[in-house]
Amino acid sequence: MYLLSKLRETILSLKAGRVTLTYPVDPRPVPERFRGRPVFQPERCIGCAGCANNCPAREILIADPCQEMRVVMYLGRRCTYCGRCADLCPENAIVMSQEYENASPKITDIRQSLEIWMGTCQRCGRCFKDAGPLDQLMMKGYRFDDLGAELWVYKSRAYLDREPVVKDIDIELD
Amino acid sequence: MLKDFLKKYFGRSLWVYHCNSGGCNGCDIEVVNVLTPYYDVERFGIKLVGSPRHADVMLCQGPAGRATAPALKRAYEAVPEPKLVFAIGSCACGGGLWHDTYNIIGPIEKVIPVHFYIPGCPPRPEAIIYGVALALGVVEKKAVPTEYHPMKLPIVRYHPEDIHVEKGWATYDKLEKV
Amino acid sequence: MRGLMVFFSSIMNLVLVLLIAPLFDGVTRKVTAVVQSRKGPPVTQSYMDLMKLLIKEDIEVGDSPVMQRFSALLSFAAILSVALLIPMGTSAPLSGWADSILLIYLLTLAGISVLLAGLAAGSTYSLVGMSREMMAMMTLEPLMAIAIIVSAVHADSLRLDAILGGGVYTGSGILWSRILILGVTAFALQAFVGRMPFDVTEAETEIMEGPLVEYSGPKLALFKYARMAKMFLYTGLFIALFVPRIETGYYLADLAVFLAEQAVLVLIVTVIAATHARYRIDQVVRYYVVLFIVALLALLLAVIGS
Repeated sequence: MYLLSKLRETILSLKAGRVTLTYPVDPRPVPERFRGRPVFQPERCIGCAGCANNCPAREILIADPCQEMRVVMYLGRRCTYCGRCADLCPENAIVMSQEYENASPKITDIRQSLEIWMGTCQRCGRCFKDAGPLDQLMMKGYRFDDLGAELWVYKSRAYLDREPVVKDIDIELD
Repeated sequence: MLKDFLKKYFGRSLWVYHCNSGGCNGCDIEVVNVLTPYYDVERFGIKLVGSPRHADVMLCQGPAGRATAPALKRAYEAVPEPKLVFAIGSCACGGGLWHDTYNIIGPIEKVIPVHFYIPGCPPRPEAIIYGVALALGVVEKKAVPTEYHPMKLPIVRYHPEDIHVEKGWATYDKLEKV
Repeated sequence: MRGLMVFFSSIMNLVLVLLIAPLFDGVTRKVTAVVQSRKGPPVTQSYMDLMKLLIKEDIEVGDSPVMQRFSALLSFAAILSVALLIPMGTSAPLSGWADSILLIYLLTLAGISVLLAGLAAGSTYSLVGMSREMMAMMTLEPLMAIAIIVSAVHADSLRLDAILGGGVYTGSGILWSRILILGVTAFALQAFVGRMPFDVTEAETEIMEGPLVEYSGPKLALFKYARMAKMFLYTGLFIALFVPRIETGYYLADLAVFLAEQAVLVLIVTVIAATHARYRIDQVVRYYVVLFIVALLALLLAVIGS
């Protein structure tokens, strides 16, 4: 009968008991790979601006107030917690922590700002990055051919495979 | 005098109106999750109502779009005093990923005043309950701005007269002359 | 002396309705939560809701704010007047000065005040809610009227103390009209108090709360209070009409028995409300029309003496 089935439904749902979590009173654990707020560790940051160039919401700002100082500022307003900055960082200076309790009355409360001291070139005083292999061919200070043994010294990290790839052609290697 | 006595009970029964002004519905689902038996926010006395005129708290999610901003403003004006506005999700807090697209004005604080921000994309239901408990005064705020200063400016340079400090930033004007 | 008794008993009736109606509403919410396997609001939550609504700002928009105020006050006043006509423990306070026609009239007036509320607000949603409420009311209110008239036919008088003291059961033999009318009112009790399967008009989130969409603050508190009191009063009326009265002579014992019977009915109504989904307006009207035809049959049988 219809009403009896409804009564059975009530009794079945009473069997489940009360499943409510007592959240604000008891802390609630998160799954292992949960991505919460990113935490920037200033000791490891080298100021490469990789995180800022790749943030989809453009929440990480980089400013150079002078030659030796770079300010990295993470404003948390639009952050989507995607984790790209943590993936990219070459020094693993950004860690996606597991904190999700980020609510506050002022949105500037989740801002993190780092001032990074950058190394400079002794000759020109500018922050430098190392020249690539093509530039090294043209610049002074990068050639070390052996004049005494009259040999060409290779500085490329690539190597020629001694086994010929194609078996019927004989390639003479130096 | 009766009002002062009754004001104590304002925090024990908050009626909530959920307003989505252009979001992707991720935060919508998390807000509705908060009302399910597992997280059950009704034990704090919070009820979801269908009309802004019955509500005390407006839960806004989604950025303020060009077409929905007037509607958002009218819904805000329809809520009777005393009222609170919660901005839920990164779209409502700061514009989200869509902050510079063609139809978004920006975060909702450009249209209506916001009292509490709950960032996340989408925020966990526990994070939303944490925000509500923060508004009720049950828990303490955990988010604090952090700053790291390794050394103080200005740095002695070859031409100290070309450095000028303004608003805490020091800039060196003549970059080509080293 | 008699005047003093009447005064005292009417004050007691009003105090009972005002104090206990939100408690029944809180119990309803808690039992609904338990059936849904969650921890619900505390039982005193409805009191806090009403107190909070009293301090909200009252926004008056629309063409006729005077009519809005009037409809809020009318609904509350009509419900409180019905409270004076229902026996709670002893006989009803105004039973010497009122008869059952007045009871039927006041119950209908309480329903009409919601229609006035919807019409006075004037927004699209409230007009849709009002038209649905009108359709439901036109087929539902006659059921209670017919129940009272069947008792009046059997008790041979329209006086309240003759009818509401279990007057349905006067007479001898198996009286089919009584069983029919008992069945009809029991099936319609859920509809009279406006709970879940028949919730079309009152607290609906499909049309944004229906006729009450534009009300805020104290006026909304009056409407919500009237709805909670309707639960108390219709269950009280059902008990007064159909449950044979147990007279112990002590006022407090009678009152305790009355409240216990009401609590049982409230529990049944809540469990049915928690396990059903809302009916559409055409299903609702069809349900009421079937019950109305059975009630007319019961009236016919009562008139021809069965």
